[in-house]
Amino acid sequence: MDSVRSWLRRRIDSIQTDQQVRTDGGTASEVSQGERRSGLGRYLDSDAVESAPFWLPSFLLVGLFVYGAIVWNVIISLTDYEGLGDPQYASFDLENYRQMLQETGSYSFTNAFVNTIVLLVAFTLICLAFGLVVAILVDRDIRFENTFRTIYLLPMSLSFVVTAKMWLWMYSSNGGFVNRALGVVGIGPVNFIRNPDPNVQLAAVVFALIWQFSGYAMVVYLAGLRAIPDEHFEAARVDGASIVKMYWRVVIPQLRTATVSASVVLMVFGLKAFDFLRALYGNDTPAVGTDILPTYMVRVAFGDASRIAYGSAVAVVLFALAFSIVLPYLYSEYRRGAL
Amino acid sequence: MAGLSGCLSGLSSGDSGPKPLELLHAWSNGDGAAAIEALFEGFNEEYPDIELSSEGISGAATQNLGQVVNERIRNDDPPSTWQNWPGAALTPYVDSNALGDISDSVWSENDMESAYREGPKEQAKGTTDHYVSVPINIHRINNLFYNKSVVEEAGVDPTSLSSPADLVSACETIATETEAVPFTQQTKSPWSTVQLWATVLLADSGHEAYQNFYEGNPDREAVASALDIVSQLSEYYPDDSSTLELTGANAKIINGEAAFIHQGDWAAGAYPDDFAYGEDWSYVPFPGSEHSYQLNMDSFPYAADNPTPEATEKFLRYCGTKDAQIRFNKAKGSIPPRGDVDPSEFPQFQQDQIEDFGNVDHQPPSMQHGLALAPEQRTNVVEAISAFIGRYNVESAADEVVSAVQ
Repeated sequence: MDSVRSWLRRRIDSIQTDQQVRTDGGTASEVSQGERRSGLGRYLDSDAVESAPFWLPSFLLVGLFVYGAIVWNVIISLTDYEGLGDPQYASFDLENYRQMLQETGSYSFTNAFVNTIVLLVAFTLICLAFGLVVAILVDRDIRFENTFRTIYLLPMSLSFVVTAKMWLWMYSSNGGFVNRALGVVGIGPVNFIRNPDPNVQLAAVVFALIWQFSGYAMVVYLAGLRAIPDEHFEAARVDGASIVKMYWRVVIPQLRTATVSASVVLMVFGLKAFDFLRALYGNDTPAVGTDILPTYMVRVAFGDASRIAYGSAVAVVLFALAFSIVLPYLYSEYRRGAL
Repeated sequence: MAGLSGCLSGLSSGDSGPKPLELLHAWSNGDGAAAIEALFEGFNEEYPDIELSSEGISGAATQNLGQVVNERIRNDDPPSTWQNWPGAALTPYVDSNALGDISDSVWSENDMESAYREGPKEQAKGTTDHYVSVPINIHRINNLFYNKSVVEEAGVDPTSLSSPADLVSACETIATETEAVPFTQQTKSPWSTVQLWATVLLADSGHEAYQNFYEGNPDREAVASALDIVSQLSEYYPDDSSTLELTGANAKIINGEAAFIHQGDWAAGAYPDDFAYGEDWSYVPFPGSEHSYQLNMDSFPYAADNPTPEATEKFLRYCGTKDAQIRFNKAKGSIPPRGDVDPSEFPQFQQDQIEDFGNVDHQPPSMQHGLALAPEQRTNVVEAISAFIGRYNVESAADEVVSAVQ
């Protein structure tokens, strides 16, 4: 008997807790009514379906034209399609990928790959470092702060075609600013664009890109600095920390998020340096030191030879590279609950 | 406008009249635009009933045009004809059977077979044994233009130079005797250096070595020797050659800042009226290459599965006439591929070029312009030379250039 009584009491308790008390004193019973509906009805009522008119069209379009195209590109990279005629989807192999690694000569795939990595790393790191220094200087309550901020950010708003033409003049040996400046200290004139050393060619391009994008790093860091409470600065000062120590120990460690997001954006900008190189060299064959994967891909796919399948394989590598930059970022944001 | 009216007439169906002749080209500005306009005008006078719809697809030299044409052919919707280099540049189209045989329908008319010069006739066949295109003009690549007052100041007589080595020592004289740049050149893009190297190969090792190279049997020694001369000439380039384009490099001749430039005859088209041929500037065939007229041509291929077979044939036949070639080449600054055109129709410089053409032994096709090399080999050669620019390392470049065509 005792066991029956206790079972009944538990049933009653559970029914009571099911029927939540509403704010007007009655009990909310919609939930249980909904549960009694058929499976289909419940499905139609769900948020996902009801909001479908808003997300479905763009989802399908993006799915088809972005992700569908990516998949198609991967498939083409497994064929031996060469431009005219139709791709043969009958036999797939990894021949194009094998060929990439076997290429020799100055304009090999390896050359473009290494250049791409060096450009990404050097450009991103120096941009961040430079942006941080400028942000700290601008943040120190200087006069004309807004003016300086605008001046530093302005180059980013210019298109690559404009900045490439400008840097062509800057690097000119005939009155170009860079060579004039080097001339003052007794160096040069240096031929940057077609320097005998491919590393100098790449350095010249990286320098120009840093000029254009360090303003962006500055803005991101400035926002990060502004988000740090004043108390942290004051507490450090009260504890007798020097300015350098204060920034090194207190401020910079709090700029992790700004660093990560700025570096991802900068790397993506770096991958897009194609426009810059195209405008700088005026055709699809830049100097050896500045041939990066995007220029290499366009040349093999759309140059005279039109090796579309091989170009697709290069595109897959480029995609993997971009993905390996963005994915860890998205994952870390997700882990921190920011997504 | 023509494209728009074409669309509208397509919409108001019912009577589907004859399709307009569709021609795609990349001559959207400058002398090219004037030339194609003049050609269309003449064609309209000759065949007023044929509607012609032309579209200029500019950008990246002719690369964008090539992409559009490829895309159209791939979709079984080829244009009637389009602007294309003849010769080996037509290889991809020939390989995919995209070009029709016009030996009977076009080339048997208007004495074309007998009147066309040998080099253009050979190139018109693409890589086949029958005619697939009609060349409309000839540009010469192996010219050496010079500013007369600069070379006179240095005491150099360009007509006395007989080999590339002579040119190098003439440059040295100019460098010591004057303030001017001896040999102006743009090295921003590789094309001018590819051209120069090919011309030096022709001048230095002769026509046979040149031909062997583009036929796939390169002589490494000849290649290296030509590269070495280019490397020597590079010491006489302007300091800012790597940031110049052709316009800027050529302007140094006009301004009297430079003595020589090696270029196709289009460079002469940029010389203004007050910079007169014969008085202020002149030219010689590139020293050592007097025996050859190095060809760059544009042609109109005939698309197989042509959307307007009859109209296209009429247009191509017209392009093969004297009238068409006078109109086009006068505006373009090139010379007609027909040998029987009266030279007096042209300005003095072109008359001299036509006369030169009559005196050469060989008419080798240009490598830079894809007439001599199939697209893949051409890309390889351009890359090898591009890597050579700046470093001027003859040995490693010779290996790459040789393997580019093997």
